[in-house]
Amino acid sequence: MNTASLSRVDLHTASQFLTMEAKLLDDRRFNEWIDLFTDDGIYWVPLRPEQQSPDEASLFYDTKDFMRTRFERLAHPRIHSQIPYHRTCRIVGSVMGPDAVGDDEICVKSTLMMADYRQGVQRLFAGHVEHRLRVDKNELKISMKRVNLINCDDAFELIAVPF
Amino acid sequence: MRCGTTDEKLSDLSRLVDDARVHRSLYSDPDIFALEMKRIFGASWLLVGHESQIPNNGDYVTTVLGLQPVVMVRHTDGDVYVVYNSCGHRGAIVCNEDQGNTKLFQCAYHAWTFKTNGDLDAIAMPRGYGVAFDSCDPSLGMQRLPRVASYGGFIFASQSRDGPDLKEWLGGASSSIDEILARSPTGEIELTAGMHRYLYRGNWKLQLENVVDMYHVPFSHESTVSRSGKQFGRRPGEKAASEISSKGRAAVRWEERTAWGAARYGHSYTGHQPVAESLPDTDLFREYMAALEERHGASKAMEVLQPTRHNTAYFPNFSLQALNMHVRVIQPISVDRTEVRVYPIRLKGAPAEMNNGFVRHLNITHSAASLIQTDDLECFRRCQDGGRAQNSEWVWFARGAETDQFLPNGDVTNRGTVETPQRAMYRAWRSYMLEDHQ
Repeated sequence: MNTASLSRVDLHTASQFLTMEAKLLDDRRFNEWIDLFTDDGIYWVPLRPEQQSPDEASLFYDTKDFMRTRFERLAHPRIHSQIPYHRTCRIVGSVMGPDAVGDDEICVKSTLMMADYRQGVQRLFAGHVEHRLRVDKNELKISMKRVNLINCDDAFELIAVPF
Repeated sequence: MRCGTTDEKLSDLSRLVDDARVHRSLYSDPDIFALEMKRIFGASWLLVGHESQIPNNGDYVTTVLGLQPVVMVRHTDGDVYVVYNSCGHRGAIVCNEDQGNTKLFQCAYHAWTFKTNGDLDAIAMPRGYGVAFDSCDPSLGMQRLPRVASYGGFIFASQSRDGPDLKEWLGGASSSIDEILARSPTGEIELTAGMHRYLYRGNWKLQLENVVDMYHVPFSHESTVSRSGKQFGRRPGEKAASEISSKGRAAVRWEERTAWGAARYGHSYTGHQPVAESLPDTDLFREYMAALEERHGASKAMEVLQPTRHNTAYFPNFSLQALNMHVRVIQPISVDRTEVRVYPIRLKGAPAEMNNGFVRHLNITHSAASLIQTDDLECFRRCQDGGRAQNSEWVWFARGAETDQFLPNGDVTNRGTVETPQRAMYRAWRSYMLEDHQ
């Protein structure tokens, strides 16, 4: 763990990191996106606004293993729900922080809007996002990405890719 | 069949369903949908919720039964009531929260208040009403659904005063609830781990047919099966689970599963999926096993851990799955739009970490962003859209019709990837719609 380099992460670096991360998802470079996470990294989308715990139902609560299973399936030639796949476009905004969390982690907050489109239906998702970042082998890594959708407790038509 | 006026269509109801096929208009005709809401959802027992959601007096949960907004609430007498969520004055939704605890319900519009059994409590500024106005008229209350009953903690209600009692209605399908309860060290379950909600552009029956459809699995869910022929691990601790294939040894084993359909009322189940046979060798599982043995004794505990059921479909509004333990409640919105709510089941008295593992696996199997459910939703939408085509008037459920075994009590059994469950559903559909049940 290189805490010295973590302290050099400023708002600009964090913003660039978040923009690059969103771009990987828009470009469907899912394996590179997984590599952004620490080995114990978690991607979480709760189903209640004030949800404290993953011990109740979540839209996503993916460990790296689950992420791999998810993207292996997305690469399958006969994944019916993604033929054709959802095209997506993300905007990352209002980046705040970074704020130190303990000695080896920082917290970056942002807002996210993502539109997706598939076969005549365009949707708009919006949410408040919290990234927990660490430095691992001199690279910035995500230990937790939590997306608080403003309509997290709504009923959704099928969703295939992370926000 | 030609479709004429509404009256002609409805007088032809009996011709829309036969032993092996149903008319496509069952999925697309708004008049048939309206009649289903009246004759099926208006008559049958419907699952409303579970006692664990409202443990204390004044606790309530709002939901929708068919198209009817209701509140399930524990009254001051400790009993559970299901009342329409509608003010007796102008009809406004009274209780606007998903859940909570209250002494009284108060309407936002003119502040009429209602007791937690639905009775009118008080009218604001009552002197404005003349002597001819009868404030004791029960229709000024929120009104109770006439029948409420529970089984295994599940709370059911019926909008009809008549009809079979809950136990008779559940029939042989009650044993699927018993099987889940037996896996709890206290014999109780809880529906307190939140819920998933998904939506699809298709008729409500597509979901109920699908949960007991073993024919679609290797095809619809092909993308969840790796090159080794195994699906990803669907239970905590599993690296890979069932072998799923339409060919070879896996297909032969698949054909050994049971299929069952009720004689009346349309319930059905499919046998247990051949998941990894060996029980997990972990401290967590041993802790659970010890608690289970304390309740059942060693040999019965082992028996309880060899479940015989996969999915059970209760006609018309819910299903119960033993593999990824959950309850699914179907909420029709319109003839071509449906919401489904998925509640994780917690086994009371089992190690918390084990229950949490089940909750987390359900996220990846049955959430709106899951790996399994999404391909089903896609197929429902394709059925709805493709069903408009004039190539055929029918949807077919003929698979295994010649090998159905009728038991003395009228229930039907068969094996494998047959459409026995769906045939049972549509026998009940016909009875409800022709009103020849009671």
